[in-house]
Amino acid sequence: MPPSRGILAVATRSSTGLPKSQWDVLPFRPAQPASFSTTACLAASGPPRKGKKAIRNLKAARQSAGRPPAPGERKALRKRVVLSNTNALEVSGLEDLDAKAIGKESSRCQMFGLPGPVVDSLRAVEAFKPTQGWRMFRSASVLWREQSIRLAQIMTDLAKLKSPETRRMVLAGEKGTGKSVMLLQAMAIAFMKKWIVINIPDAKDLTNAHTEYAPVPGTSPQQYIQRSYVANFLAQIAKANAGVLSQLQLSMQHDLSIPVQSNISLDRFADLGAKDLDLAWPIFLSLWAELTGPGRPPILFTLDNLNFIMRHSEYLGRDLKPVHAHDLSLVRHFVDHLSGARTLPNGGLVMAATTGSNKPSSPILDLAIRQSEARIQGLTGEAVPQWDPYRPGDERSLQSMADLEVFDIKGLSRDEARGILEYYAASGMLRQAVDQRLVAEKWTISGGGIIGELERGALRMRP
Amino acid sequence: MKGYESLHSFYSPLRISTRPISRRRCFQGPRHTRPFSSSTRAAIAAPEIQFDGDASGRASLLQRARIVPASPSYFTAKPEFTDSLLNLQALLRKYEALPVLAPGHAPRVAWKTHAQFMLTSTEPVRVARYSRILKVLHRLNYIHPSLMPEEVAEAMQVYKRDVNPYDKVKQPVIIDQSGRARGLGRRKTSSAVAWVVEGDGEVMVNGKSLSQAFGRIHDRESAIWPLKVTDRVDRYNIWALVKGGGTTGQAEAMTLAVANGLMVHEPDLKPTLRRAGCVTRDARMVERKKHGKLKARKMPAWVKR
Repeated sequence: MPPSRGILAVATRSSTGLPKSQWDVLPFRPAQPASFSTTACLAASGPPRKGKKAIRNLKAARQSAGRPPAPGERKALRKRVVLSNTNALEVSGLEDLDAKAIGKESSRCQMFGLPGPVVDSLRAVEAFKPTQGWRMFRSASVLWREQSIRLAQIMTDLAKLKSPETRRMVLAGEKGTGKSVMLLQAMAIAFMKKWIVINIPDAKDLTNAHTEYAPVPGTSPQQYIQRSYVANFLAQIAKANAGVLSQLQLSMQHDLSIPVQSNISLDRFADLGAKDLDLAWPIFLSLWAELTGPGRPPILFTLDNLNFIMRHSEYLGRDLKPVHAHDLSLVRHFVDHLSGARTLPNGGLVMAATTGSNKPSSPILDLAIRQSEARIQGLTGEAVPQWDPYRPGDERSLQSMADLEVFDIKGLSRDEARGILEYYAASGMLRQAVDQRLVAEKWTISGGGIIGELERGALRMRP
Repeated sequence: MKGYESLHSFYSPLRISTRPISRRRCFQGPRHTRPFSSSTRAAIAAPEIQFDGDASGRASLLQRARIVPASPSYFTAKPEFTDSLLNLQALLRKYEALPVLAPGHAPRVAWKTHAQFMLTSTEPVRVARYSRILKVLHRLNYIHPSLMPEEVAEAMQVYKRDVNPYDKVKQPVIIDQSGRARGLGRRKTSSAVAWVVEGDGEVMVNGKSLSQAFGRIHDRESAIWPLKVTDRVDRYNIWALVKGGGTTGQAEAMTLAVANGLMVHEPDLKPTLRRAGCVTRDARMVERKKHGKLKARKMPAWVKR
């Protein structure tokens, strides 16, 4: 701060006695009275110096970047699933999954490539999720872990039974444990075993009110169908199971509003519904009747993000009250099979996976999982957790979740972690020697072999 | 100052004999007459003084005698201090021949600071003066403890602080019956307690897994950093309770807690852990906000009016 504040001008003389200049004028600044207040603004320094650029408004200067994205373009980019990466190394000695290896104990801790047709089918049923790390490797491969072998054995045993049986299970576990990939593995097994795979890829799409809905007349409680979703669903079923369905023909009379060729193959029959929104739901019901008719293959009926259907949906009913997710016809169809109200006459497996991320609160589901765990431990009576009778609860969800088998998915073992880390290294994505030290470190950092965290720690957060 | 010195030296025992006898008597006389009413010492002492005057008609002693100071140090202006110093020096002279400890091995004693000494003293004593007392005390403290005379110990006790901080011995942390070692760590406003036990690399933080407790991988690495740098990730299990502060603070508090627990199991790792920054508590805290500023240092923007 200049000491000459308030002084207009001073004359200075050089040592020679001559004026250095006529008047060296100092900038005038009015004396600022000393303020009693100590507020922050008074302590501010002076105005910005001359020659110093003022802060430009960057937002105003931003140019528009040409063509705006077309409707749906950004969503398509967001939902894009990339299953191969040409920059990743090809893993030598990686075998493709085959029907013989899947149930063997020797397959444990090994990586298997998914065969091409299976990948196509899995892609058609949206079994691959954009958040999973498929894009980092040359080809889609899966780790065959202990639960995978158990699952394969369950499915093999189901197919062998003389009297068909419907097995129902829920995959539960914390975020990143591989529940969705376990569903994918079940679907891959089913495709290889020529089962019919029907997959609801994300239950959230059904309940978050992003797709149209319409009431079904004459139902109580009021039911709702989602025509466009079901049409797309039928197209997925037809495409994914084309190999099986094209060999199967219509065998029953169905009361439909259009004439249908009597010996039409089932994939073409499904396509009929995919093309016509009005026909989608009736054709789905007819197709289901066909698939559960005598002499048909077993069915794998799966749903991911179960939490979203164990609560009220985002849809509003006529009375402006939220519609319970179980009143949506397709959801109800799945829940009936999951709860055991309906069975699969030709046998099969009904599976649902809970979600760990973006998890909506569903206390009923949490309770059902804890009850199932208690049952597995052999607890009975009061030791099994019960719903607090004074707490308002969702009775329908509770009933549908009673008596369910819960497949609790935990972290990988160290051997399994080593198997997948070696695969990362062989793909050139992990540039470290895979030894006991690295395995131990990654296993601990990933919270005990949580595979999603393992991938994050080893691949995405590379040092 | 010079006069003060001379006064002092005047009464020092060495020079006392060089002074005129008359002065000496003047001060020593009253000492001898102190037990005024003592009759038991009649055999060895002078006859008792008759204060009421004797038969010769002279005035009483009380009327005749000058009032004399109790201590010859009286005229030093700091009699209490001088007496104390002389007393200690006398003690030192008396016990100078006793065996002493090796240099640097004397028991650590916190002597009273000058300020603390001044609280007990009624006289103003300069720091330099007090340091002379301390110098004698340091020498006395070197006398071998097994031969420390009682009177020296008592004399030194006066100058010791009430609480000796060096007596406080840090309790050695031990591994308990279950094989657990407890470690404590702090960072910013977080504090962590970790129980380290031999195991296979499992970590629980506040009842949650490491990945659930710390979302950032960097924080997870901080939490198990002592194990990682010593290559012991798969040899110990950790069960920790962390509270306070934010995630980074909690993770870095765990670093210290785990390192402390680990050092109980393997004390030889301390140098390695120190080099890895797992031993020293980071003392940095948030800088306080000041008035007239928007934050600790941020200045407000200039406004024209």
